[in-house]
Amino acid sequence: MIQLNTGFTLFLSLLVEAVPFLLIGVAFSSVLMFLVDERKLIGALPKNAFLGALTGGLLGIFFPVCECGNVPVARRLLVQGAPTAVSVGFLLAAPTINPVVFWATWVAFRGQPEVVFMRVGCTLIIATTVGWVFSQQKDLGPFLQETVARSRFREQPVVSEQPSLLQGGTFLQAVGGGTLRLDTPVAQRLVANPALDQSTASKLSLVLDNMVRELRELGAVLILGSAIAATVQVAVPRETILGLGQGLISSILAMMILAAVVSICSTVDSFFALSFASTFTTGSLLAFLIFGPMIDLKNIGLLLTVFRARAVFYLFALAGLMSFGFALFINLYVG
Amino acid sequence: MVRSPRSKPKPKKKPLRLPWRDILDVLALSTWSAMLIRYWLGGKLLLLLHPDYAWLSNVAAIVLLLLAGSQVVKLLSVRRRGGGDAGADLGHVTMLPPSISSALLLSVAVFGLIYTPRAFASETATARGISDSLTLTRSQPQRFVRAANPAERTVIDWIRLVNVYPEPDAYAGEPVAVKGFVMHPEEWPDDYIMVSRFVLTCCAADAYPVGLPVKLKTNQSRSDYPVDSWLDVTGEMATEDLDGRRQIAIAASDLTAIAEPENPYQY
Repeated sequence: MIQLNTGFTLFLSLLVEAVPFLLIGVAFSSVLMFLVDERKLIGALPKNAFLGALTGGLLGIFFPVCECGNVPVARRLLVQGAPTAVSVGFLLAAPTINPVVFWATWVAFRGQPEVVFMRVGCTLIIATTVGWVFSQQKDLGPFLQETVARSRFREQPVVSEQPSLLQGGTFLQAVGGGTLRLDTPVAQRLVANPALDQSTASKLSLVLDNMVRELRELGAVLILGSAIAATVQVAVPRETILGLGQGLISSILAMMILAAVVSICSTVDSFFALSFASTFTTGSLLAFLIFGPMIDLKNIGLLLTVFRARAVFYLFALAGLMSFGFALFINLYVG
Repeated sequence: MVRSPRSKPKPKKKPLRLPWRDILDVLALSTWSAMLIRYWLGGKLLLLLHPDYAWLSNVAAIVLLLLAGSQVVKLLSVRRRGGGDAGADLGHVTMLPPSISSALLLSVAVFGLIYTPRAFASETATARGISDSLTLTRSQPQRFVRAANPAERTVIDWIRLVNVYPEPDAYAGEPVAVKGFVMHPEEWPDDYIMVSRFVLTCCAADAYPVGLPVKLKTNQSRSDYPVDSWLDVTGEMATEDLDGRRQIAIAASDLTAIAEPENPYQY
């Protein structure tokens, strides 16, 4: 009975602490969706692959905050012609590198501030590296789902067999000479952010609707995650947890599997990790905090709407191995 | 006035189809708000959170209420216009079906409204390994203010102090006055109890127990002080051999039973 009470109190405490951050998260993500126009942003992106990946990683500061919001944005970025490095860097880093997540992690790990900085630093390194690796692939087409690949805006116009002079379609005469074909942007507009062309009143109502929708979805996942965390704390004997959690490698693997399964939103995952802080190695907590936002069950479904299975596997493997490497390094030499 | 015998035909009533999913949303949001407000006003929030973050939960309660209100307004206006639109789906892919999510949110909020959280007690402290606590606290504060007057130090103040300078003899003879709940560590002799507190850095999820050994007066045994009862302990610091090592212990001169404090945690 006492254990049950402890479990319920833990469960409620996780929820009550996390819900405000979830609210801030969905509010940010809903409002930004109506403020930021990716189309304008893409023109200003660096062409260099490494810098592009780094920029993509840092873009999270201006974009929706959760891993469920960032896949649609990454898809829009890809379709609208952002370099691969930027899109992939953004995809991996945006859920972690943004002010709300930083604050939440800070609140949770105030006693161990190094965790906060290592989380941000390692995520940025992994995202930049993976983005850079992906940019070595000359044409991303084979990696993408067909619908995405077809509607993708290409920097180099498709070489068609028709001589360019004889192409049909609608053209605009540019000021400096040359022409701009209008057909491609039509395809782009179809997948472009649909929210930008609305009136202010309907934007506000859309913001509220979107907040409620995200709150419903993420809140439910948060509840499941908190229930798992509380159950593990109460039901599993302490010796078992310590045996698993104090092992240099077993703790990291356990936390990474947990991260992939629990799918808890990155805005509140630090509170989940916090409930394991006294029993698990610092490296394993970090692995959870780095790897969870990049890849998890919920996310894989989303990723498969953009990438083909092979590419998702590459993302998964690269991100997983690098997170594991960092966590092991921290367990061995820092923690 | 003569009324026309032919009354106007009543407008045909449309079959009442309630938008259950939206109603469920409103209910879930408002119940969550009610639950947070209950913890806020009932003072139970401190059992769950560090007081520094109580305002976050309180603001969340208000925001949730406003959100619920906005959804009510939307529901009414959609009904008045007749027929609603599902709203543009902005490319959102979800893992759980929306109605299940709403139901889950609602039921947890109802549970939170009914259930009163309890402060952690000795069983949890044992499960979380209080025996380590004299040599190890989880957070390593870069700075803490040492109460100059030893009698004003709390349990966690003492633990932090001893962590920084562990020689027990350095504290011998200093006056002690601490409050905490009673534990009976199994390995200790019968005339020792532990007076313990839980320490929070963020929320109850990271609460960790700390405790100080208390040497009872010669004619007393630990059975006089039941587990989980709260005590106000005064006495002076001494050095004792417990768990096979020298450590500080309170040589009690006076032990008074007190009620569980409003805020049982320390920070």
